[in-house]
Amino acid sequence: MKRLFNNRPVIAALVLPGILVMVFAMIIPIGFSLYYSLTDWAGIGKYHMVGIQNYVDILTNDSTFWRSLFNVFVLIVVTIFIQNPVAFALAAVLAHVSHRLSRFFRTIYFIPAVLSVVVITALWSNIMNPSFGILNKFLALVAGQPVNISWLGKPATALGSVIWIIIWQGFGWALLFFYTGLMTVPAELEEAAKIDGAGPWMTYTRVILPFMFPIISAVVVIDVISSLKQMEIIFLSTGGGPGDLTQFTAVYLYQKAFVASQYGYGNGLSILFVFVAVGLTLIVQRLFKTEGAVE
Amino acid sequence: MTKAFSRKAIGKTVLYSLLTVLAVLQLFPLVWVFNYSIQKTGDLFGPEFFSLPVHPQWNNYVRAFVDGKILTYSINSLIIVVSAVAITSVLSFCIAYACTRMSWKFRTAVLAFVSLGMVIPIHVTLLPNFIWFGMFGLIDTHLSLIIPYVAFQLSFSTLVISAQLQSLPLAMEESAFMDGAAYRTILPRIIAPMAAPAIVTAMISSFLSDWNEFIMANTYLASDDRRTLPFSIIRFQGQYASDYAVQFACMVLVALPALLIFFLFSKWIMAGVSAGAVKG
Repeated sequence: MKRLFNNRPVIAALVLPGILVMVFAMIIPIGFSLYYSLTDWAGIGKYHMVGIQNYVDILTNDSTFWRSLFNVFVLIVVTIFIQNPVAFALAAVLAHVSHRLSRFFRTIYFIPAVLSVVVITALWSNIMNPSFGILNKFLALVAGQPVNISWLGKPATALGSVIWIIIWQGFGWALLFFYTGLMTVPAELEEAAKIDGAGPWMTYTRVILPFMFPIISAVVVIDVISSLKQMEIIFLSTGGGPGDLTQFTAVYLYQKAFVASQYGYGNGLSILFVFVAVGLTLIVQRLFKTEGAVE
Repeated sequence: MTKAFSRKAIGKTVLYSLLTVLAVLQLFPLVWVFNYSIQKTGDLFGPEFFSLPVHPQWNNYVRAFVDGKILTYSINSLIIVVSAVAITSVLSFCIAYACTRMSWKFRTAVLAFVSLGMVIPIHVTLLPNFIWFGMFGLIDTHLSLIIPYVAFQLSFSTLVISAQLQSLPLAMEESAFMDGAAYRTILPRIIAPMAAPAIVTAMISSFLSDWNEFIMANTYLASDDRRTLPFSIIRFQGQYASDYAVQFACMVLVALPALLIFFLFSKWIMAGVSAGAVKG
C-alpha cells in the first residue's frame, strides 16, 4: 500500500504539468526581466548591457518610483486602519441578525467584488465626472450651490478618489473574511463573557478579537498583497496623474516600458517590485507569527 | 432597566442604519448607471439629482450590443475563460491530490512553490511575457491569455482543493486499490466527486477572475476581433466618447454575465472565500 502512495511516475504526472505552466508563464519571464533590466533596450532595435545602471537610477534618481511605493503604502494603511474596522463592525452586526438578513446584506456588499475593473472604473469615473457626475450633484444638493470638483483630476482629491474606488470594490471581501471568522467563534465564549458581566464592547475587544487573531492577520496579509497588485483602476482612471500623484508601481513600470519606450528600465522596476512584493509579504507574515505566539 | 433598554434600542437603530447606508452606497452606483442607460444622453446633464426615465430608450442597448461588439467579444471571452478554468481545475486538483494524499519528500516544497503565485503580482510578468510569448508566436492568440490565466489561478485553486482533500478519509482510495483500480480511474471516479464542492468553488473563483481580467488582455491581444468582453467599454470610451447613455448600456451588458454567475452561485463563492480566509 505504501508503494502505491509514493509511486513516483504517478506523482510526476500529477504535479509536473501545473508546475511547468507556472514556470513557463511566471518564473522564466522573471528571469527574462532580470536580463533586460541590465540593458538600455527601448523595446525595438539594438541595445547595450549597462550593468546595474537602471537600478542605480531607479533607487537614487527616480522620485516617481518612490512616490508610487508611497501610494501603495498609503493604500495599505487606509485598507488596514479604515476599511477593516468598518468591515469588522458590520460583520459583527451581521453575525447577530437573522440568517436570511445577514445573507441578504453579505450578497449586496459583495456585488462590486464580482464586477470587472473596467466596469467599476468606468462607473466611478462617470460618478465623479465634473460636469454630470452624481457626486457633485449630491454635494450641490447638500451645499445648496453648484459644485464642480474634478475629483480624479485635482491634485488634492485624486489619490483619495482612486483609493475610494479601490476600497469600494474590496470592501465585500473584507466583510466576508471577518464574517467567516466570527462564525468560527464558539458561542460559549461569548456567553461566558456575558456571564462574567462584560458588555458587548468588552466582549469584543477582550474575548473575540484575540480569538480571531489568526484570521485578522490573514486578512492583513491579503490586504498587503492586494494593495501591491492594484493597477487597472489607476491605469484606466487617472493613468497615475495629475503629475505622478496617483502613480502606483505596477502602473509605472508598464508605462515606462510600453509608453515611454524604456523597456530595460521598466524591467528594472519590475524586478524591484517582485522583491518589494515578496519581501513585504514575508515581513508582515513573520510579524504576525511572532506576535501571535506572544498572545 | 428601561434606560439600558433604550440605550440598546438606540444602538440597534444606529447599527441598522449603518448597514443600510453602506448597502445603498454599494448598490446605488449600479442603479444610477442602469437608470441613465435607458435615457437620452442629454437627460444625464439635466439639473436634477436623479430623474427616472419617461420614455425608456431600449434602443441604447441595441446600439451598445452591436457597436460594442458584445457578441464577438463574449465569444472570445467564453473560449478563453472556459479553457482556462477547465485546465486550472484539472491541474490544481492533480497537484492538490499529490501534495495532500501521497507521501513524498518534496510535497510541502511544491505546495509552497504553488502558493507563490498568490504573492507575485501578475504585472511583473507583463513586460517579459510580451517578448517571451512572442518567441512562440503566442502574442495576439487566445493561448497568450489561457496560459497565464491558468498559471496565476493555480495557487488559490490548489489551496482550496487541498483543504478539502485533507479532510477525506484515506480509506477511500485504499479499498479501491484493493480492488485493483488504478490512479487514472480512482482520481476522476472516486476522489473528484468527493472533492466536488471545493472544485466548484475553485472553478467559480477562477471564472470570475479570468472573466474580468483586463491588463493581460490589453497587453497580449492586438487584433480587434480577438479581444475580450471588457474591451466593449474601452471601445465606447474612444469612439463614442460623448454618447454616455449608450456607454452606460454597454457597462450594464458587460456587468450582466458576472452578476448572473454571482447570483446563481453566491453560496459557493462565499464558501470559497471562507476557505481562502481560513487557509490564509
